[in-house]
Amino acid sequence: MEVKSTPSQQPNLLIDQAIVPGDVVLHLSNISTNKIKLGLGLRQDADTIKATNMGLLKHSRPNKYWVESSTKRYIPTAGDAVLGIVIDSKPDNFVLDIKGPNLAFLPVLAFEGGTRKNIPKYEVGTLVYVRVVKANKIMNPEVACTDANGKSAEFGSLKDGYMFETSTGLSQMLLSSPTCPVLDALGKKLSFELAVGLNGRVWVDASSPEAVVLVSNSIMNSEFLSDTQQKIMVKTLLKKIEL
Amino acid sequence: MGNVSRMTVNERKFIETAILNDLRIDGRRPFNYRPLTIKLGREDGSSEVHLGQTHVMAYVTAQLSQPYRDRPNEGSFSVFSEFSPMADPLFEIGRPGESAIELGRVIDRGLRESKAIDAVRLDIHILDNGGNLIDAANIAALSALSTFRRPECTVSEDDGQEVTIHPPETREPLPLIIHHLPVAITFAFFNEGNILVIDPSNHEEIVSGGRMTVSINTNSEICAIQKAGGEGVMSGVVMQCMRIASMKAADITKEIKNSVEIFDNERTLRKIKRHSEVATLEIDVPDSSMNETSQLHHITGLKNHTDLIPKSEPNTISQVFIGQASNWDPYSMKTSSHLSKHFVASPSTLSPSHVNRVVETISLPKLEKNQTENTTMDNDGVISMAVETSSVTKTKNMLTLKDAVDKKRKMKKKMKNVK
Repeated sequence: MEVKSTPSQQPNLLIDQAIVPGDVVLHLSNISTNKIKLGLGLRQDADTIKATNMGLLKHSRPNKYWVESSTKRYIPTAGDAVLGIVIDSKPDNFVLDIKGPNLAFLPVLAFEGGTRKNIPKYEVGTLVYVRVVKANKIMNPEVACTDANGKSAEFGSLKDGYMFETSTGLSQMLLSSPTCPVLDALGKKLSFELAVGLNGRVWVDASSPEAVVLVSNSIMNSEFLSDTQQKIMVKTLLKKIEL
Repeated sequence: MGNVSRMTVNERKFIETAILNDLRIDGRRPFNYRPLTIKLGREDGSSEVHLGQTHVMAYVTAQLSQPYRDRPNEGSFSVFSEFSPMADPLFEIGRPGESAIELGRVIDRGLRESKAIDAVRLDIHILDNGGNLIDAANIAALSALSTFRRPECTVSEDDGQEVTIHPPETREPLPLIIHHLPVAITFAFFNEGNILVIDPSNHEEIVSGGRMTVSINTNSEICAIQKAGGEGVMSGVVMQCMRIASMKAADITKEIKNSVEIFDNERTLRKIKRHSEVATLEIDVPDSSMNETSQLHHITGLKNHTDLIPKSEPNTISQVFIGQASNWDPYSMKTSSHLSKHFVASPSTLSPSHVNRVVETISLPKLEKNQTENTTMDNDGVISMAVETSSVTKTKNMLTLKDAVDKKRKMKKKMKNVK
């Protein structure tokens, strides 16, 4: 295998390409920068960086690499915003299910201005929008209802509306910028509120149940459709309720 | 499909509110079934049903066994249901849970009419739980039973003890005698038994207050009703369920019958294909024998004189398709090229004129040969007849056997006169 001399050339071949576990992504001997940040799905193997997950290789300047894939189960990663369901409440923290291999802990004080006196009352089955603070393979992940600066920033329990589950890939598509076509098309005709968790959970709320059902079904259908197909699909669904 | 073990308060509230507005979370109306697909055809007696997201597979097997002493004319029918953990995280391997046993019982009760002597065993595998397993499993069971064929068995006459089971190659397997198809329709109740929906999905099942299954056939006869626990329901609502169920049962029975019919047609087509291959082989046989010099003699030998003209058609047809125009070489180079020209031009339109021309060309050289050799009267008769009929067709288009017979008599006289 020919080794390219310029460091930027070799990974360019694979960026935004599909890779499988075992593919060599980078040769460290050729990289000029000192630090490389590896995200999900990449691992250092002596002198090379190899892929451990299947998906698309992504790169962000100057030195971040990761593998993007779509799964039904979620691997908790620090910094992600996810939707969790309260399973249990303990004296010190709430126990949440975030669709990962372990249950997550939400400390009762992890709220903006949270003190022992104003602990929120979350019953079993409450849907909460939280941010993952700490996550690794061995421990239960820790989540919080504040952003990195300690502000509430829309985190907390979600009232009313409807929640449905999809794959992580669809969540990533819904959060991408520019806005994905299905949300664009829906937003032109309907007004609704949407909370997307990177763990594959999506919450929708609108003024009428028909709108909620329509939005949730169009999002679920749009996963494998191209841009134009998504627009056409939304159009046909909107016609059914005469909008 | 989805993590229904953990339902949020939001989901529950929303499903109920939506149903109060006659709307369900997948956009259906309260009395709409999800799209139903029935796949038959891997083997006789196996079926795969997709009802929305619910996937169920059923398989029927039969074993020869002794009937019960007090019921010597009836066989036994047993239902085994397997809830695979891949269908739902709540299912576990091992002892079947309550819902598994309930499913087996409901289907069993609906189908107890079977009168087969064999012991029929029905295995149901749940591949994906998308809600309403009972209906889906029932449809799978009915389709599997409709397409199942049991090997024919005969009891030997000497002592009545020996039973021979004929393999499917020797004797055609027999279908089960099914008197009627009981279809299970499941309803879910909400809002304290006031609102009902048909064919609940798994989210709706969890949120519902109660569930009721009605097994009904196209004659509007109720075969079974199952309501285990859940909210109390008014008798008026129960009657409404029956009425709706009888309408839906007709639709589902039609679907099952259509799929079974398509499967049966395919099966008979497969059998016919085998036979037609045998028939082409038979046509081949005379061709190979026609390679020899006594070709024309062979024609006469095989068929009657009177049948020569019509019969030569299939022979020549088969000649065309197998491309054995070169077989005519022993007779004359001319004839082969002549023949091939004819048939290449219009292989499908073998009009009598064409055939006769062919026969004519064949018969001409033969005439020469016959004049030198002392051939049988048969050949002469044939040849003369062939010549005569060819001239006849120049005037007429239709040939009948009568023509052939009459001409032959006339020609025989002529030949005698010539000689």
